[in-house]
Amino acid sequence: MIRIAEVYKYRGHECVINGVNLVIPQGTQVGLIGPGGAGKSLLMKICAGLVRPDSGSVLIDGTEVVGIGDVEMTSVRSKIGMLFQNYALFDFMTVEENIGFPLRQLGGRTEEEIRDEVNRLLLAVDLPNTQKLFPNELSGGMKKRVTFARAVIANPPILFYDDPTAGLDPVTSGKIFALLEERRARGGTTSIVVSHDILGMRDICDSFVLMDHGRIVFSGTREQIEASTRPFVGQFWRGEADD
Amino acid sequence: MQALSPSKLLSRFGAAFMAIALDVGGMAVLLYQILRCLVPPRLDGMETWRNLYKVGVKSAPIVVVTAMLTGAIMVIQSGALVAQFDAFGLLGWGAAFATLREVGPIMIGLMFSGRVGANNTAELGTMKVTDQIDALRALAIDPITYLLVPRFIAIVLMMFLLTIVGDLTALVGGAYTGQVLLGVSPSLFASSVIEYITLEDLFNGLFKAFTFGIAIAVVSSHYGMTTSGGAVGVGRSVNNSVVASAVLIFVLDYFITSILH
Ligand SMILES: Nc1ncnc2c1ncn2[C@@H]1O[C@H](COP(=O)(O)OP(=O)(O)OP(=O)(O)O)[C@@H](O)[C@H]1O
Ligand SMILES: [Mg+2]
Repeated sequence: MIRIAEVYKYRGHECVINGVNLVIPQGTQVGLIGPGGAGKSLLMKICAGLVRPDSGSVLIDGTEVVGIGDVEMTSVRSKIGMLFQNYALFDFMTVEENIGFPLRQLGGRTEEEIRDEVNRLLLAVDLPNTQKLFPNELSGGMKKRVTFARAVIANPPILFYDDPTAGLDPVTSGKIFALLEERRARGGTTSIVVSHDILGMRDICDSFVLMDHGRIVFSGTREQIEASTRPFVGQFWRGEADD
Repeated sequence: MQALSPSKLLSRFGAAFMAIALDVGGMAVLLYQILRCLVPPRLDGMETWRNLYKVGVKSAPIVVVTAMLTGAIMVIQSGALVAQFDAFGLLGWGAAFATLREVGPIMIGLMFSGRVGANNTAELGTMKVTDQIDALRALAIDPITYLLVPRFIAIVLMMFLLTIVGDLTALVGGAYTGQVLLGVSPSLFASSVIEYITLEDLFNGLFKAFTFGIAIAVVSSHYGMTTSGGAVGVGRSVNNSVVASAVLIFVLDYFITSILH
């Protein structure tokens, strides 16, 4: 379970995360949506303990991550998988090394087992025969899929996906959403999905959180969000331009 | 340009001072964190090898060429004087003394800060702005032990070793130029080196190389790890890193020279 309470983060004098409270129950998948610059990526990094908020508390499975050092964070981090919005692939490693890296760091597996797992995931994301390529030889959409594979390979119980389908064609993007759904259906994974593809996300999340200007402006299930009479919520959900 | 009011001037001066203090403080903390990882050694073996290779092997040719030319230049500079006073027996001493104690470490230090240090800052800075550092941290990997310690070891060790190589090639370059230009035989050159140069001269220069290596490693890593603001930010960091390393090399040289004299 992830519990975020009264989190504030400032950039200079500007408040970029403004008093966020959020509870993500064990085993649920939450869709985090909102306009560009709303603070979605930043909130995710705060949840993963990568950015320290100026105040507030973040509990991951009962451990407070705000203010603890990298060493104490180790046990919490081993539960987390993260797909970064701008890929964050290690550019001195091949695709194969990137994806296998989390497993290699965990230890306890042979190179053979790691290679098999990497190949299996590469097939799942539709990237066969790319093992030996370097990230700079891949297209944006290909990099996204490699980051996806790296985030999920160690089967972490907590997953943060920041825009997993950005730059993907509709078919591939559908495949990635199907993989997310598969993971959710299997149970046991607590996850946050950030995406601008609301159509694709509708069916794969247990609930949704809408952010704007660093605040949570709405949270609820798909039915609740669709029934909302607030103009901003409805417009954003249906992707209408306001006039 | 508009004249600044005294209070504005003061606040600008204050801001600049704070920025420098923040950098110096950051570097001191970084050096402490790196040293703490060295006893007992906690580092990634693969990364260390990769960096030793990258820093050492790829810098060797440029160090050899510059050192060779430096030795030759020392001889050309002193050539006229040597010929005037018929002091051919001192040529080797003159070239070696200046090279080993001063010119060698400084030249190689500046080469290193421009080549290896700049590269280090650019690499770390790019990793920072593309979230690769965060990706490491998200995998519970300490960027200090994984990235910085191997680079520190590679830079300090290779700076030290390449200064020895550089010293030797500079002497070869000097001896060769002495023979071609002044007709001083290499054996006379060598005997002058052996007779007048003490081990202390050598160690003095090597100690400098060692501290310059530490300075380059810490400065370049600090600017890399504090990069923000995309590609422009990486450029700014590289620039700061090279300038700060060069300044620090001269400052350290001044203090070491005056203390060890
Ligand atoms: N480490 C940080 N510290 C302070 N402010 C930050 C930090 N990282 C990002 N910000 C600021 O937070 C704001 C929100 O950025 P964020 O990247 O979270 O937006 P986003 O909702 O993910 O947008 P998009 O949909 O375009 O990805 C921006 O104004 C950004 O400058
Ligand atoms: Mg974002």
